[in-house]
Amino acid sequence: MSFLVAGALAVALLVIAPVLAHLLRRSRADEREFPPAKLVPVAEPVARQRSRLEDRALLLVRALTVLGLAVLGATPFVRCSRLAIARQAGGSVALALVVDDSLSMRAKTTSGPTRFELAKSGARDLLDTTREGDAVALVLAGAPARLALSATTDLGAVRHALAELAPSDRSTDIEGAVQLARTALKQLPHTDRRVVLLSDFAGNPVPAGEPPAWAPLAALRAPVDDCGVVSAETRGRRASATIACSSARAARGRSLELVASAGSEPGPADAGTSSTRTKAGDLVASVKLEPHAGEQTVVSEIDVASVALDARLSGKDAIAHDDEAPVSAAGSGLLLGVLTDPATSSATTGGSSVLEQALGALEEEVTLRPMSVLPDDDKDLAPLAALILDDPTGLTPETRAALSTWVERGGVAAAWLGPRAESVQLGSTLEPFVTGPLRWEHTRAKGLDPASIGWLGAPGTSLSNLEPRGRARLEGALPSGARVTARWDDGQPFLAEMAFGRGLLITTGLPVSVDQSDVALRPGFLALLDELIDRAARRVGPRRTLAGVPWTFAGASKLSVEGPDGALRVSDSDPGATSAQKTVLPAVLGRYRVSVDGAPEVRVVTIDPKEITTPPREPESQPDRVVVGGVANKTDVSREVALGLLALFLLELVLRTLRRVKPRRGRRRSDRTTVPG
Amino acid sequence: MNASGRETQGALERLLDWGRLGPLRLRARGVADGVYAGGHRSSRRGAGVEFGGHREYVPGDDLRWLDRRAIMRHGRLLVRQFETETDRTLRLVLDASASMAFRSKAAPGAKLAFAAVLAAALARVALAGGDPVAVDWIGGERCHPLPALGGREAFERVVAALESVIPGGDVSLDDASVDRAFASVARRARRGSIIVLLSDLIDLPEGTLDRFAALSSMGRTLVVVRVLDPLEATFSLEGAVRLRASEGDVVVETDASAVRDGYLAALDAVAVRWQEKLSAVGGMLVRAATSDDPVHVLNEILLGVRGNGP
Repeated sequence: MSFLVAGALAVALLVIAPVLAHLLRRSRADEREFPPAKLVPVAEPVARQRSRLEDRALLLVRALTVLGLAVLGATPFVRCSRLAIARQAGGSVALALVVDDSLSMRAKTTSGPTRFELAKSGARDLLDTTREGDAVALVLAGAPARLALSATTDLGAVRHALAELAPSDRSTDIEGAVQLARTALKQLPHTDRRVVLLSDFAGNPVPAGEPPAWAPLAALRAPVDDCGVVSAETRGRRASATIACSSARAARGRSLELVASAGSEPGPADAGTSSTRTKAGDLVASVKLEPHAGEQTVVSEIDVASVALDARLSGKDAIAHDDEAPVSAAGSGLLLGVLTDPATSSATTGGSSVLEQALGALEEEVTLRPMSVLPDDDKDLAPLAALILDDPTGLTPETRAALSTWVERGGVAAAWLGPRAESVQLGSTLEPFVTGPLRWEHTRAKGLDPASIGWLGAPGTSLSNLEPRGRARLEGALPSGARVTARWDDGQPFLAEMAFGRGLLITTGLPVSVDQSDVALRPGFLALLDELIDRAARRVGPRRTLAGVPWTFAGASKLSVEGPDGALRVSDSDPGATSAQKTVLPAVLGRYRVSVDGAPEVRVVTIDPKEITTPPREPESQPDRVVVGGVANKTDVSREVALGLLALFLLELVLRTLRRVKPRRGRRRSDRTTVPG
Repeated sequence: MNASGRETQGALERLLDWGRLGPLRLRARGVADGVYAGGHRSSRRGAGVEFGGHREYVPGDDLRWLDRRAIMRHGRLLVRQFETETDRTLRLVLDASASMAFRSKAAPGAKLAFAAVLAAALARVALAGGDPVAVDWIGGERCHPLPALGGREAFERVVAALESVIPGGDVSLDDASVDRAFASVARRARRGSIIVLLSDLIDLPEGTLDRFAALSSMGRTLVVVRVLDPLEATFSLEGAVRLRASEGDVVVETDASAVRDGYLAALDAVAVRWQEKLSAVGGMLVRAATSDDPVHVLNEILLGVRGNGP
């Protein structure tokens, strides 16, 4: 501190001057000797009281003015501790602000605001110290990391974008955010580039690289006690929920309560049962939590099977938002229909068919629905995300109509055609997979052409040797518009797919049965099934996803999604195209009501338990401030102090004006305490 | 500075504020000269000009007063008696408590100074008429009571006693101080004495009025001179004030403008109480302020004394 600063601050001592003057004046005027004082009646000194009140207000204003003058005299040497950008040689700065909008940032800090609010405040402080010529990019670290605003010199746009930011329930993707921030700064001409991380680092470590990242707000990384409902589902009359807790203290004394959801309506089957009497908010079941950190699953019996439920935690913690989540019905993942003939497709060891075993081995969140015949009504197919037909014997007209309608609405149907395709029953065909009769032929081909199946990756090479006993000749039988995606090593089509409405038709020239080929024994077979499920998931969409995972609706012409925070914005990839893909990005946990071309469905968004169980941590390598580029936590507050002084002067004027204008009731010219001389 | 030195210094700081009323000796003479120094009739009989009756001759009587005509008429030795103007002791009782030291900016001097001027002037008038003067004190420091003194030196002694007093003491709770003064008066004042009490009547203890009125026996004349400061008499304060009494721990915070009438009424009530009581015993109350002309006040006192004389 220099002499000037000390001198300016010493002016602050003058703040006691008006106080002393006031006290001295009070002592002179107030007490005096008067022998017959006991004869003087006591009365409320109205005039003096009013004068004292007014004087106190003025006294306060003047004291603050003196202090303000002292601080103004000391600035810019006296600085406050908010974030600011220190410049090297006055050059412009390219700044990437990485703001974490994941679930963990909703936690309340000890000072009151949430971590996210602190991060936004820090970002605003940094923005306030930018100037013309600086470029600022805004990156969000909630998974997946996103570029909220590309690097721009329009600081007003940055402020607007920052103001629009809202917390979400996403996972943390700090790694991707830092990479994105570095990429955003890469093309800028600025030599002074900086990446500022405003996160609690409840995720992956920060990757090393240039420019190094700086995490200035240590308050974001203070641990908190929180429990959250990760997922909850009902299976029959049993409900289970997964709870994640950051600490044992957060779980101690708390319980999971299942309550009837608002707007839940009992189904017709429940008329007259206990569920008909359940109203929204009624407690259905309650289970006490185990006091330990990490994930735990609690199970409870319920007697209202068909009522929509919400799972909520009793008590309070740092994040109230994750204490309640909707309960989804079991099997909310993809539902796959499998049509097989046990006589031909089952393994010799018995049990499930080979196809069912392969699907089970994928460990995907799918539910299989074995079918012996295809339904004639498309409503029966509606719950299915995908349908796999193994060596079907043909489709009746009713079945074909139902299948076509279902596929047009987004279903994915795959037919593994075998020898029975050659002997379809009268009136039955294999449309819409193939047109016309299909011939089962003997082949000398050993397997698939690896080049044609390269898109499947390494597992695709395992399909080069299938030892087929025959194959369905697809050439000439595929409908127009079908696209061959894999071929035999002799060039004949093996696999073809065709968009059909919003859905997809996949035709394969081999059955799954191990009696006809070894395809079911190859890793590539599982890869094909995985691809099929992925296609179905992308088209139909899973019923339960993590926050931040986009929902795509291929071919949907009319889409609306209503979430906990209202209607979601629908992104259209190519509005003019007939096969446009619509995307919705749910970022908040809860129950969503989706309407796709009039067909309603309910989806549930859950949270990543790591957001709760992973404690905040300090970045592994905290870059030195100088290395970052001289970002210092100091700033000049001259302008604010000057404005404050101006406000104080105005306040004094107002007080004085009020004092003059105020009615002079009880105030006389002789209110001064004087003795006639 | 040793203890005695500190005491002396403290006493000097508390010396009576004479203001424009000093020097006392000259001031008192001026005041006394401004009034008529008339005599008053005495109950004592002896040499004189007015016939007062006869009595039997006893050896030792002045033969000049034998009434020859009465001897011839009655055949006995009778002596003629005459009424004569003789002395009536003036007993001055001064209140020297702390409240009497008060002097406001507008006053010419402290209340006790004004009372001392009156007392000295009264003494001079009395001594000029041949009446002895005695002095007693209520409260105060370095106050020396004087027995009844006459002659040339008496005035100087009285003035010296008045000049040496230092006002002080809280008599509001000190009944003994008043008792001492009044007991001395009651014991020494002869029949027909004139007792003049000079006080502000503010902080005197309860019962002072009754005890003073009791001195009216034996044909004594009681006169009370209430001396107030102009500020006390008019209460010319304004606005919010915080007033501290000179004696006792009374502190009053009030709005002077609002309570002026109430205060003056209370002050007058005290005077009325004294006036009524004194009237009942043949005495009188003289109200004075230090801003008043002492000659005028002295005239009032003397008129009162003459009006109540035998």
